[in-house]
Amino acid sequence: MSEAALALDGVVAGYGGGDVLRGVTFEVPANQITCVVGPNGAGKSTLMKAISGLLKPRLGTVTLNGEKLIGKSPRQILKLGVVQVPQNHSLFKDMTVRENIDLGGYILSDRAQVAKRIDAVFDLFPQVRDWAGQRAGELSGGQQRLVEFARALMLDPALILLDEPSMGLSPLVLRSVLDAARQMNANGATILLVEQNARAGLKLSHRGVVMENGVVRLTGTGTEVLNHPEIGELYLGGAVKNGAQPG
Amino acid sequence: MARELIHAIVDGILTGGVYALMAVGLTLIFGVLDIINIAQGVLVILGAYLSYSLSTRAHIDLFTGLLITIPVMFIIGVVIHWAFIRRLRGTERTSMTLLVTYAVALIIEGVLYKVYGADDVQLQASYTTSSVHIFGFYLPWIFIYGFIVAVCLVVALYLLLYRTRLGRSVRATMQDENAARLVGIEVNRVAALTFGIGVAVTAVGGMFFGATNAFNPNSGYDLISRLLAIIILGGLGSIGGALAASVFMLTLESVVTIWQPTWAIAVFYAALVLVLLIRPTGFLGRKAVRAQ
Repeated sequence: MSEAALALDGVVAGYGGGDVLRGVTFEVPANQITCVVGPNGAGKSTLMKAISGLLKPRLGTVTLNGEKLIGKSPRQILKLGVVQVPQNHSLFKDMTVRENIDLGGYILSDRAQVAKRIDAVFDLFPQVRDWAGQRAGELSGGQQRLVEFARALMLDPALILLDEPSMGLSPLVLRSVLDAARQMNANGATILLVEQNARAGLKLSHRGVVMENGVVRLTGTGTEVLNHPEIGELYLGGAVKNGAQPG
Repeated sequence: MARELIHAIVDGILTGGVYALMAVGLTLIFGVLDIINIAQGVLVILGAYLSYSLSTRAHIDLFTGLLITIPVMFIIGVVIHWAFIRRLRGTERTSMTLLVTYAVALIIEGVLYKVYGADDVQLQASYTTSSVHIFGFYLPWIFIYGFIVAVCLVVALYLLLYRTRLGRSVRATMQDENAARLVGIEVNRVAALTFGIGVAVTAVGGMFFGATNAFNPNSGYDLISRLLAIIILGGLGSIGGALAASVFMLTLESVVTIWQPTWAIAVFYAALVLVLLIRPTGFLGRKAVRAQ
């Protein structure tokens, strides 16, 4: 396994009405895609918020390349290179696509650098360049997702958190969105993906993590997790077989 | 009769400018923080009293005095946000802010009574009583200045929102607070600065209001109901809408006054109801507001 970019150790977090994460421990290797799957209520989105600083964990540690993230503000965590694309569409719908992409580099003070990054992002996603002058709210769900991905790349991040990017998308659009995630990874991005569509997410990923009731049930390669019989029964409709690596 | 009507329309447009100066701050605060600042009317009066003190005690010209009152009101706005508004969270936030800002209004009003007493005062300068003769009409200089300043202020706020980094962060926060956080915008700082700017603007509105009307510490309550009507009609959160609605409402009131002065206020609010029946989002409704 590659060196871990992100490491979580015994993370406990919740919203006041009880803990949602109850001691989460796993690692996200650098330059790989790690997919977290699990049923509704497993704590997947809470996990993302705990990493990006939107939610402060009560216990445990989260480190990025050895640097502690807990206690830092979302802005400080962003500056360290952790970018989150949340579950719900997060574009500023009444701004143009270009303005949205530009805001992805909000924390950069050097405007020349921002312009360079916009060009780099447009080169990676040429279709986004075509939509640059359109209002973000006029785009389809899948198009908005691609713009969100492009915006996430503005900071050339060390880690991208993708929270259920398939939500609300048709299977055809889903494929192009997941292709875009693969493309970002091929360009060197480390991705932590949370995906309700477990089969699609795990197929795409190098590593898989299965969560249930706020704890990690299994970890392994994407294929191992995908082929684990219990996981197949639980989350994939029992269609897959073969052994797996307990986490 | 036609001459009287034209005069009433010109008067209404110019007075509308003065009201826009008071309304833009209120609508800006609503746009970013999603709260109605009930204290805005009293803050206008506080701005007027600050100008009054500088004018009567330090003999500083009303316009020059704005160089002092605007920063002072900005600081007061940031402090009010820090002390009262930023602590309010959760589902009851909007209704709680109504109560809290009302409490702020009562506190400020109490302080004003203590310091200035209950008697009416009015700001005085050479241009508050002189007029210019144009096309057979005598137009008070203070109203002309007020209208010009209102237009300049709206343009300045527009440039601030659309040409600066702070403006981009304000617009982003207006549209989606969480998404703004995720791109690194310090939402609490933006909210505090916006509240400060919204209150700072009342220094200008207060000066012109005080120069065109007699006022006392209690005058803020009549003002806030009018200002609320204006920003709702203009489209909540819309700065341009606030200017348009101010001019529309005050012109209408001025015209009605020719025939029946006692009906002027009733028509003012009836117009609000009628327009909202036809266009529930106001002149520049939410969608238009955000795209402006």
